[in-house]
Amino acid sequence: MDYGLSEQQGMLKKMARDFLTTECPKSLVRQMVSDDRGYPPELWHKMAELGWMELAFPEKYGGTGGSFLDLAVLLEEMGRACLPGPFFATVVLAGMIILEAGTETQKQELLPKIAEGKLIVTLALTEPGGGYNVDKVTVKAVADAKNGYVISGTKLFVPYAHIADHIIYVAKTANGVTLFLVDSKSPGISYTLLKTIDGDKQFEVVFDKVKVPSKNLLGKEGQGNIQLREVLRKAAVAKCVEMVGGAQQVLEMTVDYVKDRKQFGVPVGAFQAVQHHCANMLTDIDTSRFISYKAAWKISENLPYAKEASMAKAWVSDAYKRVTKLGHQSMGGVSLMVDHDMPLYSKRAKAAELILGDADFHREAVAQELGL
Amino acid sequence: MDFGFTPEEEKLRQEVRDFLKKEVTPGLIAEVAEYSGGAGPIFGRRLIQKLGARGWLCPTWPKEYGGINSSEMVGFIIRDEMTYAGAPVSLVGATMAGPTILRFGSDELKKEFLPRLARGEIDMALGYTEPQAGSDLAALELRAEDKSEAPMMEKGEVQAEDKGDYFLLNGQKMFNTHAHFVEYHWLGARTDPNNPKRHRGISLMIVDLKSPGITIRNMTTMAGWKTNEVFYDNVKVPKKNLVGEKNRGFYYIMTALDFERMFPVGGFQRIFDEVVEYVKETKRDGKPLSDDPIIRQKLAEMAIELEAASLLYYQLAYMLDKSEVPNYQSSMQKMFATETAHRLADVATQIIGPRGQLQTGSKWAPLNGEAELHYRWGFIETVYAGTSEIMRNIIALRGLALPMLG
Repeated sequence: MDYGLSEQQGMLKKMARDFLTTECPKSLVRQMVSDDRGYPPELWHKMAELGWMELAFPEKYGGTGGSFLDLAVLLEEMGRACLPGPFFATVVLAGMIILEAGTETQKQELLPKIAEGKLIVTLALTEPGGGYNVDKVTVKAVADAKNGYVISGTKLFVPYAHIADHIIYVAKTANGVTLFLVDSKSPGISYTLLKTIDGDKQFEVVFDKVKVPSKNLLGKEGQGNIQLREVLRKAAVAKCVEMVGGAQQVLEMTVDYVKDRKQFGVPVGAFQAVQHHCANMLTDIDTSRFISYKAAWKISENLPYAKEASMAKAWVSDAYKRVTKLGHQSMGGVSLMVDHDMPLYSKRAKAAELILGDADFHREAVAQELGL
Repeated sequence: MDFGFTPEEEKLRQEVRDFLKKEVTPGLIAEVAEYSGGAGPIFGRRLIQKLGARGWLCPTWPKEYGGINSSEMVGFIIRDEMTYAGAPVSLVGATMAGPTILRFGSDELKKEFLPRLARGEIDMALGYTEPQAGSDLAALELRAEDKSEAPMMEKGEVQAEDKGDYFLLNGQKMFNTHAHFVEYHWLGARTDPNNPKRHRGISLMIVDLKSPGITIRNMTTMAGWKTNEVFYDNVKVPKKNLVGEKNRGFYYIMTALDFERMFPVGGFQRIFDEVVEYVKETKRDGKPLSDDPIIRQKLAEMAIELEAASLLYYQLAYMLDKSEVPNYQSSMQKMFATETAHRLADVATQIIGPRGQLQTGSKWAPLNGEAELHYRWGFIETVYAGTSEIMRNIIALRGLALPMLG
């Protein structure tokens, strides 16, 4: 067993932390909430130049062939920095779907562009009545001899849809759940920004008789649920390590503050009530880190990971929220102000809990893995 | 990172598992319960001697002392399997005293005690707690002084007087589990009552529990397991039985506690596995319990917490093998594993329903009453070997460098 990072991963982590500390200050994070794009393109290009987008793609698709664990190290730092932007949506989620489901031509065409930071792709899966059960998609794609497919329906929580070049749209054909690669400028698509707790850019995407040519099928018709399920599990683990990074930063902010802040003539961190809050935070973070990295390691090693992935998302979804709650309690009033860094994390923790399956969703998945 | 075991480790785990499957009998399990998790005189001793003969009792020790020079990881795997099988694992000599002797003891002490401990011939009972010294262990009152220094005898205190070639001990210990059937007492005693820094006046020594002047009185815990009060009345202890340096005992005890505060998860995992089988096999209102979404949620949550406890457990082995001191991690693992175990027992009794209150041996008791027993035992585990609150203090002070009050 080895609970530590490799030397190279350690360097990647330090490089990412240094870079994001300078380039992604909290003032920028707050500013992006009211920014139309929701992320600074300059930062995006710098990240691409550092090789972050290409990190986990195979070399033949313009990547550097890094492992899922390498990507995890980077994502933890992004979570720590509250990095705004479509990295997760495009590089992690869409990138993995294309890699998993795409034809050789599609991979050759799309992945190198994502790896260079020149293409934004996003996933449209969730429906108003549904969550992350990929078998329950209801939007229909109707086969049409002339046009390929015609799709009408509403999808929610499509990240950065307004700046995406392509949308991976999940719909049902006569043969089952199918993935479509849709040009985001196709006639009949409308976008409405949703007002979320985190202030990130998530959209309602409505398709009104949108025509999608047959060549834009992503993967096999009717197999979309199987391919997507694997990717969503991996993405849940990727989200977990991002959450671990955020939780770690919350703890460090809290500890710094309670060592400094005096009440009753002593630092409040000397009081056992506060010390036990901090001890509980560290316990949640250490367990979250190990359970998430174990799942990430299994993915990296091509070992079965379904149970570990769901264990991680169930545990970390609850743990990150607990950490932010205790952080606020320990720091008190100052941490509740809108210009304090804490709300960035406590709001993100809630948003992260609710995407890619919450704790209940993943506990049910664990129960299935236990043979219940 | 690598969260897997090596093929050699997997092979050893299987060997230990196969061995224990044959050796752990219902008679042994009943005896383990009767002797508070320790190796009882009949089945328990026989088993740990067999383990000792294979070098599995103290595997990390050098060969000359009866070990097999293994990694800590191997030792952790063996203990995990022992708890899973229901074998005695509360072995003070092999897991707490022995490693401390190995680190700090004289050559004479090592030769006298280590091979016998590793062979499973003797065991020890912890002698730390006193009526007035629980979480505040530095308050223990046990002292050793030269006879020429005119020792003062205060009622109710354990004192160790330095009589040249032996210490003379007087006073009382309590909650000293296993003292009524093991051979030796691993005793913290006050040797310098005048040092204003209380923790600098304590020494650690090994006492033959058959020494004249020792009286042992049973105390029975709410889980039915026994512990003891131990009274010392002019008990002579040879000075060669001193562990390490005089007046450095508190430091050694703190080090030994870091060995104690690591809880294998195997035993809890076994109970969990049994509950999973139970809900698959048992129907309520015509439907299997495993169909109930609330039960599914609760069991999944317990599976996750056990996984986290196990990751914390093996992290300790990883750190020790790298010569890192798990200075807050062992406290975190103790706290997390024991709190998880208590929740597990709670959940198990809830899932079983009204029959969850039935005790081992009762008519209608599912899982042989284990859920009920472990629910009672759970109260004890989060208190002994350092309460969950003390563990959180340690995590905050050592792990996060938060300031001390005052």
